[in-house]
Amino acid sequence: MASPDHRPPADTLAELTRLRRRTRANAHGGAWVPALGVALLLLASSLLYASPFGGPTSIEITHPYWAGLPDEQRDPVLSYVFWFVGIPLLFAGTAAWYAWRTRRLGLRVAWPVFAVTGLGMLVLLAVLASVPERAVHPDTLDATGWSAFWWRALLTPLLPVAVAVVALGWVERSPGLAAAGGWIALLATWLCGWYPAGHLPGWAADLLGGTDGSLGGQLALRPGHYLGLMGLPLVVVAVVHALRARRAGALLPATGVTRG
Amino acid sequence: MAEQQPTAPHPALALDDTVHQRVRLGILTVLSEVRECRFATLRDELGLTDGNLNRHLRILEEAGLLQAIKGYEGRRPCTWLRLTRQGRAALRAEVAALEQLVRRLRDTTTDEPDVRTGPD
Repeated sequence: MASPDHRPPADTLAELTRLRRRTRANAHGGAWVPALGVALLLLASSLLYASPFGGPTSIEITHPYWAGLPDEQRDPVLSYVFWFVGIPLLFAGTAAWYAWRTRRLGLRVAWPVFAVTGLGMLVLLAVLASVPERAVHPDTLDATGWSAFWWRALLTPLLPVAVAVVALGWVERSPGLAAAGGWIALLATWLCGWYPAGHLPGWAADLLGGTDGSLGGQLALRPGHYLGLMGLPLVVVAVVHALRARRAGALLPATGVTRG
Repeated sequence: MAEQQPTAPHPALALDDTVHQRVRLGILTVLSEVRECRFATLRDELGLTDGNLNRHLRILEEAGLLQAIKGYEGRRPCTWLRLTRQGRAALRAEVAALEQLVRRLRDTTTDEPDVRTGPD
């Protein structure tokens, strides 16, 4: 660093900005791996559904939605195991990745916030799902709009994943990651919270279909498509982060281990 | 007697001597971007010697702006450095003061009459 002691303050600020950018690129150049990991987990979860991309004439939905979205699962136990083993495994992989980067770079980021948030939310999901359920009044299912919102339907493993991604965005100082987490939460809430899944209110159906005075409708999409939509921003953000890290030479840091 | 207009204190007065020193400003900037930074990484990043960096770290640690965590990596001793909340606030205040100073200097330069176009 050149001496800002006797330099114009503008030069000092410019130099600090350069130093900050360089440190940020090095320290946060590893965000692409957990982002890609979450995206892959989301996409892989489409295999939990009986018809992830096809269009069956009838489906049988069981609650809680252990597969993630309200659709027919291959096996609820398999779905449960997928998320309750898959998410901790993802965090274990993330821990190994960040530990390796820390050894290489000598810079430590607060990645445990990502893991603790995700695991905490997963435990909360398990606890809330075990609360005895009252029978759903049929009138609730007939209702439309906000009155049809069913909070228990939010007991889906997708929300802990979404919150963990938001935490990762905060830790890695990445607005893109935080927005990708928000997007997953938004889609999961919309698809799970209202019946039927993916129900569009009248105004939205009018907007999309060019109709007038419609009562609403549904998009002709299946769980696999929705999961693709959820994971897409994550993949984009991961690629952008990886390209930035590559430019900064921090994609796979090869710096020798420094001791001090 | 005309009343004197109260003027805002000069932004240079807001600069903190402990923080403003060039190396210490660099240390705080690097640490503000990470949770912790290894001593050797910081030394290499700022192009300092062990002794020089140690001297500045001691000053910052005594001021409560950073925390040094000593430990081992395998069998080798290793020091990790972490910015305290107070350190983060001090850096923010310093950068804000510098920005204000830049604005002030820019305004002063703009207000100065151009002698080349002045009256004969």
